[in-house]
Amino acid sequence: MATFDRRAFLRTSGLAGLALGLAACGDNGTTTTTSSSGGGGGFGSVKLQLSWKKNVEFAGEYFADTNGYFKAAGFSQVELLSGGGSGTSVESGLATGRCWAGLSAPTITAPAVLQGAPLKIVGATFQKNPFAIISLSKNPIEKAADLVGKKIGVQDSNELVWNALLKANGIDAAQVTRVPFQSDPSMLTSGQLDGYVGFVTSGPVNLRMKGHDPAYLLLADAGLPLVAETFTVTQETIDNERDKLKAFLTAEIKGWKDAVANPAKAAELAATVYGKDQNLDVKEQTEEAKMQNELVVTDDAKANGLFTMTPELIEQNISSLSKAGLTIKAEQLFDLSILNEIYQADPSLKLS
Amino acid sequence: MIGRTVLRIVGPLVPSVVIVVAAWWLALEAFGISPLVGKRPPQVWEYLTASQAHREAVFGALGITIRDAAIGFVSGMAAAIVVAVAFVLLRTVEQTFMPVAMLLRSVPLVVMTPLITLVFGRDLLGVAVIGGIVVFFPALVNIAFGLRSASPQATDLIMAYGGTRFTVLRKVAVPTAMPAVFASARISVPASIIGALIAEWLATGEGIGAEILRAIGGFRYDEVWADIVVVTGVSILAYAVVGVVEALVLARFSDRRPG
Repeated sequence: MATFDRRAFLRTSGLAGLALGLAACGDNGTTTTTSSSGGGGGFGSVKLQLSWKKNVEFAGEYFADTNGYFKAAGFSQVELLSGGGSGTSVESGLATGRCWAGLSAPTITAPAVLQGAPLKIVGATFQKNPFAIISLSKNPIEKAADLVGKKIGVQDSNELVWNALLKANGIDAAQVTRVPFQSDPSMLTSGQLDGYVGFVTSGPVNLRMKGHDPAYLLLADAGLPLVAETFTVTQETIDNERDKLKAFLTAEIKGWKDAVANPAKAAELAATVYGKDQNLDVKEQTEEAKMQNELVVTDDAKANGLFTMTPELIEQNISSLSKAGLTIKAEQLFDLSILNEIYQADPSLKLS
Repeated sequence: MIGRTVLRIVGPLVPSVVIVVAAWWLALEAFGISPLVGKRPPQVWEYLTASQAHREAVFGALGITIRDAAIGFVSGMAAAIVVAVAFVLLRTVEQTFMPVAMLLRSVPLVVMTPLITLVFGRDLLGVAVIGGIVVFFPALVNIAFGLRSASPQATDLIMAYGGTRFTVLRKVAVPTAMPAVFASARISVPASIIGALIAEWLATGEGIGAEILRAIGGFRYDEVWADIVVVTGVSILAYAVVGVVEALVLARFSDRRPG
């Protein structure tokens, strides 16, 4: 009898181990159903996996949904899947068919492509890298060399960005103490961290609101120019659903045009509608929205349209990735032809 | 004798391993999980045999996790034994501390971890506390119960001959509690590994608990699955080792036949 118990137990414990693994890949993002009364066009309902929790970073998506651009483009519904957990990566979601498109970053998409996942980046919301090392000005990290000997909080999903930063600046990983970090800036103010890797749009604003004096080092200024919040889709979507993808990106362009024009409304949508459960502060989100506009609306984006990438920008990204040890060709990772076709067909979509 | 015991306990593990591997494979196929994310057994084997660097990544992290789990296991079991003895010797201690202990237990460890790291730091002491907490509570309840189920007749006999409560503990309660100690040890083996993984994820940032999430961040699912396999394997193995030790010790220590 005891033997049976032991075996039964082992079987369960083994399965529990498996379940642990499966759960790590499982969907733990919360979903929000978008307003979708009435039948849309022929594209049905799709899921868009966001790269982070629902805050003002996704203002364009909120506008595209609220103002009915998705519906007008023929989607009955675009479901925005909240991200931020370790199991919610866009790349694994696309590979397993859990989402149709996602907002990610080249440092996350490139390794997936190199592992054989048939994915492409078809546009970039943030033209400039919003990643920064955020610290306090009483103990500031203002250049890469300042990192040596410091305790830095790095999220697991930012693993590659972090490694790239160290490599680009010739810093040995052993010279910096990397501390496990989720997303709690209070670890910085309580002195457990000297700095952390985060978006420059959110951390400093948050710290300032709480009465601290933040300092930051933009990764773009530390030898790592990269785009962010990139639209990632499968190659199959590009090949077989080109019209659907064009309709989607067109709605996104319209949404983001509204978002950059109206930071206050963007913040309100984030704090009171889409990210309601996040306890966001409208004032803080407004500041973030204003700050992120500078990363979204660059001179190139003004000239060529939102989300577009110039050949020089693509080249910079490829070279940043190679610093991270990711040797990948531009045509393996980027396909901007869809956006180009959209803007050629309708130049009025550009920012006027 | 030892050889037979080992065989009797390790033998049934073989079908267990087969079942676990089959379940892993079948589950992935049944749910149609893409091989890019859900790696199958042959892919994990290929990953581990392909290069020395892969093995170093996986087994290096595993070594740290085993160390962390051992620290948690030992500190948790030691604390549980000490506290259980105190409970049995001093009834008021139990009445005072048991509710506090249970209260502490009902707070999820993930929530407590930031506080623990703040107080005890992020190195081995923190690991000992986090791992120890996982092991401590079930072991405490089990061992205290085992110590208290000492035969009243034997206790009376020792008292009648002028023995103290400590003599009773040593001569009667401890041998009686041995099966309970080992039952807790067996439960605690997988628990201590879970504790180590939590500590590594949230506190130390090294070992399997940290590497597995970094591997997900870097889309290295080969490594993720290899990590899962080795950690599960170690868990099963450690469980079997405790089983063997238990059988040998109980055969000597207790009048109860080990089963």
